[in-house]
Amino acid sequence: MKVIKIDKNEWASGLEKLRSAYELIGPVKEKFYHAFQPLESGQQPDMDYINTRVSPKYVIYPQSELILECSLNENDEDYKIYKEPEKEYTPKAILGIRPCDADSFSLVRRNFDTEEYKDPYWLRAYEATTFVGLACDQPCPTCFCSSAGSGPYSDSNLDILLADNGDHYLARVLTEKGEKLAAAAGWSQDAGDEADQQIDQKKQEAESAIQSRVNTDKLASQSLLDLYEATDAIWEKEAFSCINCGTCTFVCPTCWCFDVQDEVSGKKGYRIRNWDSCMYPLFTLHASGHNPRGTKVDRLRQRFMHKLKYYVDKYENGIQCTGCGRCVQLCPVNIDIRRICNMLNSYDPESCTCEVTAS
Amino acid sequence: MKSYTDKIKEIAKRLLKEDKVDMVIGYRKGTVPLMHQPFFATSEGEVDSFVWDSNCGLNLANYITDRKERIGIVATGCNSRNIAVHVVEGKIQRDQLYIIGIPCQGMVDRHKLAAMAEGNIASVEEDEDKGTITISGQGFSKSVDKAEVLQENCSICVHRNPVLCDELVADEVTEQTREQADPYARVREIEAMSPDDKWAHFDDLLSDCIRCYACRNACPLCYCPQCFVDESNPQWVGKSVDPTDIRTFHLLRAYHCAGRCTDCGACVRSCPVGINVRDFTKKLEKDCLELYGWEAGLNTEQRPPLDTYKPEDPEDFIK
Amino acid sequence: MKNLLEHMGVEPERLHFSWISSAESTKFVDVATKVTESVKSLESKEKKFVKTKPKVA
Repeated sequence: MKVIKIDKNEWASGLEKLRSAYELIGPVKEKFYHAFQPLESGQQPDMDYINTRVSPKYVIYPQSELILECSLNENDEDYKIYKEPEKEYTPKAILGIRPCDADSFSLVRRNFDTEEYKDPYWLRAYEATTFVGLACDQPCPTCFCSSAGSGPYSDSNLDILLADNGDHYLARVLTEKGEKLAAAAGWSQDAGDEADQQIDQKKQEAESAIQSRVNTDKLASQSLLDLYEATDAIWEKEAFSCINCGTCTFVCPTCWCFDVQDEVSGKKGYRIRNWDSCMYPLFTLHASGHNPRGTKVDRLRQRFMHKLKYYVDKYENGIQCTGCGRCVQLCPVNIDIRRICNMLNSYDPESCTCEVTAS
Repeated sequence: MKSYTDKIKEIAKRLLKEDKVDMVIGYRKGTVPLMHQPFFATSEGEVDSFVWDSNCGLNLANYITDRKERIGIVATGCNSRNIAVHVVEGKIQRDQLYIIGIPCQGMVDRHKLAAMAEGNIASVEEDEDKGTITISGQGFSKSVDKAEVLQENCSICVHRNPVLCDELVADEVTEQTREQADPYARVREIEAMSPDDKWAHFDDLLSDCIRCYACRNACPLCYCPQCFVDESNPQWVGKSVDPTDIRTFHLLRAYHCAGRCTDCGACVRSCPVGINVRDFTKKLEKDCLELYGWEAGLNTEQRPPLDTYKPEDPEDFIK
Repeated sequence: MKNLLEHMGVEPERLHFSWISSAESTKFVDVATKVTESVKSLESKEKKFVKTKPKVA
């Protein structure tokens, strides 16, 4: 691993050089908020952004994605035979992604890239992408990344980590993919011996600026059934305000659930994969009409138990959350995962109480 | 708004103590600025969490649908109108409710304030005497007149005082007249566009929609056991983020609210991407007023115009 | 319904309501012809509420 210095004067010209080899994606201010968008020729990513409303998970895993298509013309040889649509997975580079969002891809990968099953769509898109992260020097009041297994300078799922240092970026080139991108952009100026320390120094400052945290130390040792059954102490009260919309799941970088839908248009059939949300009653509705998660209390419990308990137990690698704070900011009824995480962590089955009370 | 908060607590405590109600529904302070949480208290101790200020924009009528308990509920003008709609539609009995009326001074627009802030808002202060809202965060602090940052539906509201209530927390506020408020200015702007410009306007309006259904679920009118977009046999509308499907959802949802919508603004407030869903519903509200002289939720006796027939109903659309 | 569709940019010519009795076959033909003509005469050729291939990634 080496650290290079990218003068901000050379940033834009470097990006232009990248365009021949990469599709560039970066934060762009839309009507009111930032979003990750493909950068058109000459368009620069807004590197002063704080964070996007919707997480960049859709760059790899679109909200609606055509996965198969078929002909419905009886005269065709391949009538009703589903085939993969032709898609190009040209190399992409996500510029300025926040470390928490980048880390979310390694969490999601545990679902899409397993021994038994490898999701071709997700993996191809993921592998075609180079992640150029932008370290976070101004965490939001709702950021709790450093206690959720990520951090403002976390580089575990990045190819390059950029740290803003006034008139230049200090760039840690972390992987071969990163080296390739830096070379293609013509960024090669050695940042000197002290650069590494400088980044570490900035990292410490950024981490100490994070005001919000969650306690997760006891989640693994809590009894799953005790938490599940803590209806009075936790679930009933916390679920009261929930309106069962899908905001939390759709803005979340780590929610990976989907639903597969078939659509017909003319003589063509399309199979589309859409994000789904455990908040929706339809999510678990059986063909028989029975719904094992028939109430909003069941559904809210599912969301938080999945992120904070089932996932913790199954993968033994922390919670399924990177602390980006989007659901905290955007939930229309202020259901706060930090509060629920602390409740689960501190739940005492003897007394049926939590340190954070439900009221 | 401390006086309101204190009075709410006082009434709620009394109701619970005298066993007049089983629960009181109000708001508690949110964990993030501009966002208070709908909350219910069943004991006097829990009542102390109640709060009232300009961030109580979710419609509490949402939380009484089909409930069996005796409920105390905090209600502004629009919330009380939605409660009346609920009573008319048989979703709650009037005698189950004890309505704590709030003469409303409007809610602040969280989308507008977020767009104004130079960074993330860490705290919001309201100065009642000066009528200002101050937002601050790392490296910035900004004061604005509350009137400038009111939700649009609040700034044009002509029913600030509850139309239905058992007890008020304060004296009624002065209502604006319809002439002063000019509530349909924006509808007229759109009406003046050419068909293609209108189409483009709504295309642009919905371009960020992520189909999370927060607008639908935050709406007290959307209480159907199964929404038409969720039905799969027959499937009325596709489930992807295809623009035609998104527009179909918004069009039909709005239409289902015709003559029932009180313009409470909960749909816009809850939208995570800041879509002004009211561009659909406000047109229907205007039509109901002009065609039927109807405003939703002003009493608990009359059924909405699209639910009833009168020989004098306009029919000039039939040619 | 017509008003809201118009409000969203669907031309008024595209939606038509008439009372036609089952005995009024000629009126039905007249109305259908008139509606077809009025739609054809529209300036805008933009297809509205027509979904062909779903626009997804």
